[in-house]
Amino acid sequence: MIERKKECIAMLLAGGQGSRLYVLTQDTAKPAVPFGGKYRIIDFSLSNCVNSGIDTVGILTQYQPLELNDYIGNGQPWDLNRNFGGAHVLPPYTKTSNNQWYKGTANAIYQNIPFIERYQPEYVLILSGDHIYKMDYHKMLQFHKEKGAECTIAVITVSPDDARRMGIMSTDANQAITEFEEKPANPKSNQASMGVYIFTWDVLKQYLIADEADPGSENDFGKNVIPAFLRDGRRLFAYPFEGYWKDVGTLGSLWDANMDLLDPKDPLDIRNPRFKVYARNYASPSSMLAPGSKVTNSFVAEGCEIYGTVENSVLYTGCVVEEGASVVGAVVMPNTVVKRGSCVNYAIIGEQCVIEPGATIGDRPEHCVGGEWDISVVGHRRTIPSGAVIKPKEIV
Amino acid sequence: MKMTGIIFSEMYNDELNAFTHDRNMAAIPFGGRYRLIDFTLSNMVNSGITNVGVLAKQHYHSLMDHLANAQEWDLNRKNGGLLLLPPFATESFSQMHRGKLDELRNALNYLQDATTPYVLLASAHVLCNMDYRPALESHISSGCDITVVATKEDGTSTEPCTFVMLADESGRATACALNYPASAGSFSSMGTYIISRELLIQVIKEYTAQGAYDLERDFIQRKFNQGRLSINIYECQDEVLRVRNVAEYFHSNLMLTDARVRKSLFQADSPIYTRVNDEVPTYYGMDCSVSGCIIADGCIIDGTAENCVLSRGVRIGKGAVIRDCIIMQGSVVGEGAVLENVIVDKWATISAGTELKGLASAPVIIRKGVTV
Repeated sequence: MIERKKECIAMLLAGGQGSRLYVLTQDTAKPAVPFGGKYRIIDFSLSNCVNSGIDTVGILTQYQPLELNDYIGNGQPWDLNRNFGGAHVLPPYTKTSNNQWYKGTANAIYQNIPFIERYQPEYVLILSGDHIYKMDYHKMLQFHKEKGAECTIAVITVSPDDARRMGIMSTDANQAITEFEEKPANPKSNQASMGVYIFTWDVLKQYLIADEADPGSENDFGKNVIPAFLRDGRRLFAYPFEGYWKDVGTLGSLWDANMDLLDPKDPLDIRNPRFKVYARNYASPSSMLAPGSKVTNSFVAEGCEIYGTVENSVLYTGCVVEEGASVVGAVVMPNTVVKRGSCVNYAIIGEQCVIEPGATIGDRPEHCVGGEWDISVVGHRRTIPSGAVIKPKEIV
Repeated sequence: MKMTGIIFSEMYNDELNAFTHDRNMAAIPFGGRYRLIDFTLSNMVNSGITNVGVLAKQHYHSLMDHLANAQEWDLNRKNGGLLLLPPFATESFSQMHRGKLDELRNALNYLQDATTPYVLLASAHVLCNMDYRPALESHISSGCDITVVATKEDGTSTEPCTFVMLADESGRATACALNYPASAGSFSSMGTYIISRELLIQVIKEYTAQGAYDLERDFIQRKFNQGRLSINIYECQDEVLRVRNVAEYFHSNLMLTDARVRKSLFQADSPIYTRVNDEVPTYYGMDCSVSGCIIADGCIIDGTAENCVLSRGVRIGKGAVIRDCIIMQGSVVGEGAVLENVIVDKWATISAGTELKGLASAPVIIRKGVTV
């Protein structure tokens, strides 16, 4: 009899609140936040899995899962509707004893040991659904095998400034990790963790069980499990990733990452037809640019109707920009209407908003004196009344 | 649902040959992201029809590729769903499929196995966004043998109508004609018919055995003129675009920039579904100038486009100027090229600096995959 098993399965941690996205994650999980015109943040990790030959993905949800569950559905948009494997949404559930939410990242995986064991994997890939990047995990798995690693952490080179906000690895000449520091004040290296781990499953399982038994543990990969691996002299390696990677955990970085799509050099390589980013598609018609409209240096998804001016912006599916309205340097999420004569400058506008005629949102950096400038943000499903002014930096 | 849907994917004439070299009529790209069949098929789905047979005669690879398991239309069902009905290679194969009635012989088993009391026959070349349920109600309450879904003409159309009728106040046809100019107040058939399944099966068997093959001429008109067929006319009030020949194809595409047409054809409650391609959003360059255009995903536009329809993944180079053009999927218009009244089929390349000008009534057509 052929034993049904998977060499490597992925576990995607999608339960985080993403509180630094404020209004954008008020009633939706961070991985479900729209990105780049037609995508949601989670599309990038899911597409990476499929493009890397990983066809079994457990998606761990906890915070505001409705929209995310709905979005993932049976996994068909990512080719993850499989007879054996595929996409599985894994919320916390009640048990005969010890009912609990996911206490931390390690605990979330611990609680799903029965799910993982169904596939008897040799390796488990741990992902988070909050990053914009395209990565072939298969190459990382090859690296993991070549090094005889028990844990491989994907790392990216960052500036010293960024290093102070991230998990930093020091390695030897063979890429073996010698030290790991979470948010160090004086970083000893510029290699930062991308939150992408490959573990040899039988080793990880032991550590998860031990970690769960430790009442002092926060049950977190970065704080507890990885340090325990290091303490015990386990084979930890850092896999250097070269390419575009962006944590979109803050409003500023989310706006930046959207603006990066306008770079003609396409740093994310989003257009690569051999490594497509898949998304759930809604049936909207092709966009219409009416006579008199002016659209330059912008990324526009389908279903939009543009009568006004759009400049240096990313317009998501189904947006309307009416006559005389102008959208500059803005990220406008799905199905938002910018009405006649209103102005949106350097802002993020959530889904299904209505910007009534003559409203002004945000301002250009050069119009703000004294370093007071930042983008303006309007949450999902808001109506901005006629003539209202939303100042730079304001979040509504 | 009381109806089974049958879609005709051929034209049975050579008016659209320019596009049907390696695809059939139903698979002709339209409106940026669609194929012609998407409209009729989506209407059926949105009207609650869950059994749809698609009749295909030849080079239907594109169509099969497009429809696949019909998942985008929610027709991947255990019970019912979509079934492609290609011809059986019988002895009389070479003479088959001269018309819709002839082709319906291929659907005979399908229709006999169906369980609905009525059948909706529709052609893929008439585009609208309509609910077929009120048409069925009208058919049932009229007590007529057949219901023709039609548009009321205002007498301004210059094209002769394929099938035109006059009606009395109750909506019953009083006269009908084929390939005849429509006068004001007459009704032009949309090639969409509702008929009882039992009668249709009987008609297919009886008429094709006598060598008849044209649905409108050999069955509806002949039997009506003999006084043996009552016709109910159901007027479609929605915007209707017809694609019977190249000029109409060209015109209908460009009509999508009309706000009224767009609003009628694309409604949030009854979406037009199509195959998903996972293209990235379209990028509009620093120096581009685009106005009055319909544009699908995945394009990169650096030039000037006025009154055009661009499909997925089209590239318009710097300094290129295109006016009144339809550019299909994946085609490239090189830098500085100037195109007017041109239809560029899929995956074609217009080299830099090329100038091509056609007429609105006779646009220049660049074949699939050709480099100019």
